[in-house]
Amino acid sequence: MSQPTRVPFLLIRFKNFLLLLLKNKLAAVGMVVLLLFVFLAVAAPILTPYAPTGASVSEPYDPPSWITTFNGPLGYSQNAQFSALTLNATGLATISKQAAHSVRLTFASPLTGGTVQLTEKLSYPYQGSPKRLLGFAIVDVPNSIGKPFTVTAFVDRIGVSRFVFWSPTEINSTGQHLPSPPIDSSQSTFNAKLGLGAQFSAATYVFAAQIADYQYVLQIHVPAGFVGTIDVQDFQLSLLGNTWGIFGTDDAGHDIFSQVVYGSRLSLEVGLFATFIGIGVGLLIGLTAGYLGKLVDEVLMRTTDMLLVIPFLPLLIVLVATIGSGLIYIILLIGFFSWMGFARIIRSQVLSLRERPFIEAAKASGAGTGYITARHIFPNIVSLTYVNLALSVPAAIVTEAALSFLGLGDPTVITWGSMLGAANTAGGSISNLAWWWIIPPGLSIALLSLSFILLGYAMDELFNPRLRRRR
Amino acid sequence: MGLRGYLVKRLLNTAILVIFVIIVNFAIFELLPGPNGALANLTGRAHGNPQAIQNLQINLGLCTGFTADNKCIAPSVWDKFAIYFKNMLTFQFGQSQQSGNSVLSDMISTGRLWNTLTLLGTATAVSLAVGIFLGVLVASRRGTLFDSSMVTVSLTTFSLPTFFMGLVLLLVFALWIPLFPPGGVTPSSWILGTPSLPDQILTRIRYLFLPALTLTLFFYGGNLLLTRATMGEALTEDYITTARAKGLSERVVLFKHALKNASLPIVTNAALAFGGILGGAIITETIFTWDGLGLWLYHAIGWHDFPVLQAMFYIIALCVIGANLISDIVYGMIDPRIKYE
Repeated sequence: MSQPTRVPFLLIRFKNFLLLLLKNKLAAVGMVVLLLFVFLAVAAPILTPYAPTGASVSEPYDPPSWITTFNGPLGYSQNAQFSALTLNATGLATISKQAAHSVRLTFASPLTGGTVQLTEKLSYPYQGSPKRLLGFAIVDVPNSIGKPFTVTAFVDRIGVSRFVFWSPTEINSTGQHLPSPPIDSSQSTFNAKLGLGAQFSAATYVFAAQIADYQYVLQIHVPAGFVGTIDVQDFQLSLLGNTWGIFGTDDAGHDIFSQVVYGSRLSLEVGLFATFIGIGVGLLIGLTAGYLGKLVDEVLMRTTDMLLVIPFLPLLIVLVATIGSGLIYIILLIGFFSWMGFARIIRSQVLSLRERPFIEAAKASGAGTGYITARHIFPNIVSLTYVNLALSVPAAIVTEAALSFLGLGDPTVITWGSMLGAANTAGGSISNLAWWWIIPPGLSIALLSLSFILLGYAMDELFNPRLRRRR
Repeated sequence: MGLRGYLVKRLLNTAILVIFVIIVNFAIFELLPGPNGALANLTGRAHGNPQAIQNLQINLGLCTGFTADNKCIAPSVWDKFAIYFKNMLTFQFGQSQQSGNSVLSDMISTGRLWNTLTLLGTATAVSLAVGIFLGVLVASRRGTLFDSSMVTVSLTTFSLPTFFMGLVLLLVFALWIPLFPPGGVTPSSWILGTPSLPDQILTRIRYLFLPALTLTLFFYGGNLLLTRATMGEALTEDYITTARAKGLSERVVLFKHALKNASLPIVTNAALAFGGILGGAIITETIFTWDGLGLWLYHAIGWHDFPVLQAMFYIIALCVIGANLISDIVYGMIDPRIKYE
């Protein structure tokens, strides 16, 4: 009979506790910040399409795009891509679109020769030139051809000037044909192609810093009587801007926002699991030492004291360096070396509880040690556990971040600490220090820690009426 | 039991702690597979000369000797521990795998120890002085705007991790406003010749400033909050009222009467925080490429230089144990109420 009403009662008690806790303004702030990070962690795949360890999304060291709000739009650009193909064939060929940037042209013996023109358009909206332009064009001839044809590709600033990326090239064999040199402004051969010195930026040269309309054109000239199929694949031109996204890019062009978002998962995991381990061990040792007393107490507490003296971070450094730096090892190691303070608190609490009359009463009515511990002592120290939980999580998060910062983190994942470590060492020079690579992970660590600390203090105040301020 | 008995007891406790640290060190570095794997890897590099490999294995303590068919006779754990124990007590840490020199000479004659002591000493002294001074001021103005703003500021700097604070300072004061050098202990041009002493001191202070500031910002907060708490208690005592009634100046009341009695927990905390400061120093030295023990440890991690790692861990643990002993002794000396039990 009592069993069905039990769960709702606990729920109501939890709800009341939460309401009481959130009456404290600082606790409410902490809760909001914590929920924000939990949301980031849970919704990571929805918030960002890029995997943190995936391919690069833009050029290295791009600052965030919103800096134009403060610095003005002059000189800044974002990534841009030419629109999907539009086709302008003069009845020479049957055209079927294969994909957004791919098309198949079938020529069935035209009487006169002519030109098929594939066009992609872009109204360049930014007041700065792109950092890099990267183009593709694959002309694939699947079957044998009778007569050679010619291909050329260029970019027009419409009505102003023309930049030829692929000089008229005669194609007379089957297989894939690509522009040579590749359309990539980071390569000096491409500069030479445009007649530009190696010290200049081809991207700036072509997309001079102004708003204008551009078209990227591929022309295929076929002679009279040409028969065959020509596949044009991946005909596209990407412009990589000098700003990117919400938090910019790192030294390899990865999206920092997605690293921060996914980092919240790892930090919460490390913080919570390590703390659970620490609390579990601390409870076990504190309860044992406090309740059994005598020799057990002496041995356990001397060991605790000795472990407390050993410096925590250096110990973890040598342990991770010798055992290995998988995330699971880090969680276990942080957990197993952070129970000492908590065990002492529990022990002293148990020592005082042990002498209370209600324990004596329980003993007198024949309760065993296990029963007394579980039913009478444990409920009285649960509040301490909550407080310690809230205050240990930030310590674990910061410790993991410190280890990752020193290069001892799990090499397969990107955590906030390893982002800071990479930002510190990448480039090897102070001029490579990027604020958008430092502030987001650093502030995230600080804010997440702060949210737990605020909740912890509020709980402490709730459970220790003496600490409550008079309002 | 008098002061002497108290001291003997503390010393005994310290000795037990040192032995405990050596056992932990032994367990980590001799019993776990990592370092031994690295040693085996090292012996594998002797270019196939069996005699050289055997000599190396004997030198590194992997084998005590070899049987007739060249099988390694591994030493027992107890033999290993005995040798290890002796080596630790006599500071024989073996050779650094980065430089090939003995770890002890790499630690001292390269100036690393001195650099770290300079940084730590400055940061500890400044954070203690600033923290205590501000703590006293705040405690005497409890409830004012100054009080709440100082508490907020110190809580903030206290909860920002060292590596974040260091990087932000580096960003602001070395890159955006290049007031201070981005790293190092001395300018690289000093290899050619050092300038006169007054010039040297100014330049050295510029190099020391940012790392010391990072550590100070992290540690003054704790001192401030603790001083505020203990002073708040001391200021309600009757003898403070008496002192004020006698007409003593507020300065004397605060710093002589109240602070002296409120300083006990601060001393204990300073000793307990020393381990944290050392941890912070590892990170700060890494950020500012301050060529001390912390940066050395950082490089040793990358190199898998286990002799250096274990020496560093041992030395750091010894420092913390020493700090605790000193605080115990100071505690016994400044508080006559302690009953040395």
